[in-house]
Amino acid sequence: MLSLFQQGIEAVFTFEIFGLVFFGTVVGIVFGAVPGLTSTMAVALFLPVTYSLGAGAGISLLVALFVGGTSGALISAILLKIPGTPSSVATTFDGGPLMEKGEGAKALGVGIVFSFLGTVLSIIALVFIAPTLAKIALSFGPHEYFGIAIFSLTLIITLASGSMLKGLFSGVVGFAFSTVGIAPIDAITRFTFGQTQLNGGFEILTVLIGLFAISEVIKVAENVKHEKAATIGRVNMKSIKGFGFSMQEFVGQLWNGFRSALIGIGIGILPGIGAGTSNIVSYIVAKKRSKYPEKFGTGVIDGVVASETANNACIGGALIPLLTLGIPGDAVTAVMLGGFMIHGIQPGPLLFTTQGVLVYTIFAALILSTIMMLICEFYGLRIFVKLLAVPKHILLPIILVLCVVGAFGLGNRIFDIWTILLFGMVGYGFVKAGIPQPPFIIGFILGPMAETNLRRGLQLSDGDFMGFLTSPISGAFLMLSAASVFWHIYQAQRARSVKRRAVVELEA
Amino acid sequence: MGDAKKREYLLGMVILVAGIIYMVLTSQLKVPERPGVHVDATFVPYVLSSIMCILGVLQLRAAKNFVPKPASGDDVDYGTVGKTIGLILGYVALLDFAGFPLMTVLYLVAQFTVLTPHDKKVNYALYSVIAIIASAFIYLTFRYMFDMMLPVGPFDF
Repeated sequence: MLSLFQQGIEAVFTFEIFGLVFFGTVVGIVFGAVPGLTSTMAVALFLPVTYSLGAGAGISLLVALFVGGTSGALISAILLKIPGTPSSVATTFDGGPLMEKGEGAKALGVGIVFSFLGTVLSIIALVFIAPTLAKIALSFGPHEYFGIAIFSLTLIITLASGSMLKGLFSGVVGFAFSTVGIAPIDAITRFTFGQTQLNGGFEILTVLIGLFAISEVIKVAENVKHEKAATIGRVNMKSIKGFGFSMQEFVGQLWNGFRSALIGIGIGILPGIGAGTSNIVSYIVAKKRSKYPEKFGTGVIDGVVASETANNACIGGALIPLLTLGIPGDAVTAVMLGGFMIHGIQPGPLLFTTQGVLVYTIFAALILSTIMMLICEFYGLRIFVKLLAVPKHILLPIILVLCVVGAFGLGNRIFDIWTILLFGMVGYGFVKAGIPQPPFIIGFILGPMAETNLRRGLQLSDGDFMGFLTSPISGAFLMLSAASVFWHIYQAQRARSVKRRAVVELEA
Repeated sequence: MGDAKKREYLLGMVILVAGIIYMVLTSQLKVPERPGVHVDATFVPYVLSSIMCILGVLQLRAAKNFVPKPASGDDVDYGTVGKTIGLILGYVALLDFAGFPLMTVLYLVAQFTVLTPHDKKVNYALYSVIAIIASAFIYLTFRYMFDMMLPVGPFDF
């Protein structure tokens, strides 16, 4: 392990990867900071750039974009009181009031330092948990993979924000789109309508760019004409010592930070949800456990610490299922899975034995980009603040052109550009109908895994479905899947009856 | 019936119709019969289409009891959305014929103009300069740094 780590560190300290990690971190921070742009969009847009790079360099760039994008959102959350991405929603609760009280520098300092600590703790968890989990996963066969795929599918659907029905529909549609092309095992062509370009199915990258970037551009068009420029708060960094907070304040927040990191790592590991959920959960927990919960929302650093530590801790957490099982932990890692595939690498337990150096290069790139994030955010704050002022009506059309280039680069075909438009329209339709997009992506990625392993498993057990229940791991995951669905239905029913009772009481 | 409730009904109908179409398409798949194989290439699509149909019915039922949230007061400018979608479609449709550099400049200028907020003036000169620089930078970067053969149209660089 140590020798692999050494090789990983040597790889990232080459001029090429070091430069790419720096570039990725800075661009990621910009994407995180500008409201409307997300780290998912950043990673999706830069996938085509990795075509001509080696696997280590390409994935390191994506990792740096992920780290920068997750953390950069705190800048606009504090200075504009608008979260740059959903991962910093809870940061605005106390970051905004701190800014109003004239303690913006302290809020930014705390946010940056605890973003760094959250990422570091999650990398430690990743480095120690991932290889062990990969060793266990090596013994998994089709039955186990089918169980895990079904469990992941049900989990993201039941945890999808809003209506469970809509979450379920989103996941099922994603799964349905993955059935286009040549079927696994018997190679039957399905739903291609005679179009040979569809034989290989839809490219994951076109689905991701369409769903997350194109739909976002169309959505912004809804109200960009009426939008007023947000007022950017001013922070005087010259008079600030260190990171803007005292050692006593730092020590006082250590337990809050540690607990929030654990929440972030845990939520990051669960498939389908990530930083967007962890920052809010962590904020609620910090408020409940606080000695002064009434002060939350009025400008206490505890709120910023909880939110920023938890959202960044999701980074390492989300990479654990991706690297060990090939299952993305959230939307960004789903895009990163596409990045692995572009380079012909299949994430999973074998990755640790066949591509050990690459895995540890990723770990080293994560550490390097975390350090760069700390330095760049603190010393480059004034530049990032200026970038917040770039008007959306200029920025978004250029992003759309980059999406078009990214799709075209997949196979030098105009067909792929039409595909991103198709999925862009699907994504926009989802937004208008209140249907969450992440279950679609997870359904699209895990669908083929579930189908292939179902059919392989049945071949192994001579068509007997019981094989999936008698295998302890597969059986346990399938039971958990059923339990999570029933629990969610029960909760939804209970909430509905409480609501109905309240309406009846109100009418009486 | 309010707009939000109508939308929920419409969504239920869309899900149901999508499920039925998917099921019909699945039934038309030609799968050779193999003795002893019960789960073939149609199995998963049948399961998914059945789930979609059930979800459609459940959504229609849920729409009946749907209580809309109070309106947030945000005005959606569907005119700009329509123009944006039209511009994107035109851009992609003519990309191969007119080439990336020219179409990108035209698309960017038109899109900047369409998206310009009401309280700002449309500055064609500035928009043209930004569009030309962006188009040239993207084209040259991807053509010469990443060896991507973007369509050139009548202009061969």
